[in-house]
Amino acid sequence: MLPLSLLNAAQNKPMLVELKNGETFNGHLVNCDNFMNITLREVYQTNAEGDRFWKLKECYIRGSTIKYLRVPDPLLDAVKEEQKMARELGRSARGSHVSGSGNRGGRGAPQRGGRGGMVRGGPTRGGRGRGRGA
Amino acid sequence: MLIFSVFKTLTDQTVTVELKNDLSITGVLKSVDQFLNIRLDSIKVLDETRHPHMMAVKNCFIRGSVVRYVQLPAEHVDTQLLEDATRREAAAQAKR
Amino acid sequence: MDSLIPFTTSGSLVDCVDRKMLVVLRDGRKLQGVLRSYDQFANLVLEDTVERIYHQDVFAELKRGLFLIRGENVVLLGEIDLDQEDDVPLRQVDWETLEPYHRQDVAAKKHREDIKAQVLFERKGFCKEGGEGDGY
Repeated sequence: MLPLSLLNAAQNKPMLVELKNGETFNGHLVNCDNFMNITLREVYQTNAEGDRFWKLKECYIRGSTIKYLRVPDPLLDAVKEEQKMARELGRSARGSHVSGSGNRGGRGAPQRGGRGGMVRGGPTRGGRGRGRGA
Repeated sequence: MLIFSVFKTLTDQTVTVELKNDLSITGVLKSVDQFLNIRLDSIKVLDETRHPHMMAVKNCFIRGSVVRYVQLPAEHVDTQLLEDATRREAAAQAKR
Repeated sequence: MDSLIPFTTSGSLVDCVDRKMLVVLRDGRKLQGVLRSYDQFANLVLEDTVERIYHQDVFAELKRGLFLIRGENVVLLGEIDLDQEDDVPLRQVDWETLEPYHRQDVAAKKHREDIKAQVLFERKGFCKEGGEGDGY
């Protein structure tokens, strides 16, 4: 699972964003895009020294200013579960004869985040695996 | 691309990378990319006590943008060839 | 964008996935965690992350959880040898105890670097641009 997919999956979840200048923003993720631009709601902003605070109803943060984001620990497992269930749902809809190559597709997805990312066109990853096995 | 090509010929050689924060790391050059990001294996950090966080690290990936110098083994660099290639490249650039 | 890392086998971080890694950030922070994911920008997902501070032969840690790190802020990624890790001759103390010493170290280092940059600028013609917020 790619880093930006994790971010997308974190919509409506609380997070902490630290900017390159050390300012922090605590809030719930409303939306994000491929540039890592994000909008947060119910935000508590703190300056770099940690001695000044602001409360904002909503804010937009340009991706290029972000140093990192901290998200709730269970999010990673929750997203992997969701992806697994979505795949299984897709697989059962297509029929049961693709179990061999389906496994390959499945293996590619959760554990090896990097390798999975290497395959362009993430959503069709499982499809490609099936094609190869057929 | 010239310097990238030089690095590509030096894979599996021992080099020393000096970062902009004065941290020097010696290791085996495993790979390099077009941004001169570097992967080093079996690293040895100079002045390890000043960089204790590196003590248990055996291999690393270094972002090209933080590198100040890379010390190369002179016997593995054909400077004459490099010089000629550079002149050719410069001539080609001037023509464009 | 100099944060782009081409997805070739040479620049790839694929053999670092699911391994315990050290990440040094541009602001000087040292994080350790399990690398779960990365992309062509070297954005990283680090699980069970711990932030460490060091002072002389002592260190302290603080649990930080799940991180999504923007690739351009990464200085280096080191693979931690789990065997060597036990042999590291450093003593662990409380974060609250060590934090003031660490802060002093950071301030002293910044002071030295600022003086160095000023001398290089005045006497050697180095420019003052670049390295904003760099503390590594």
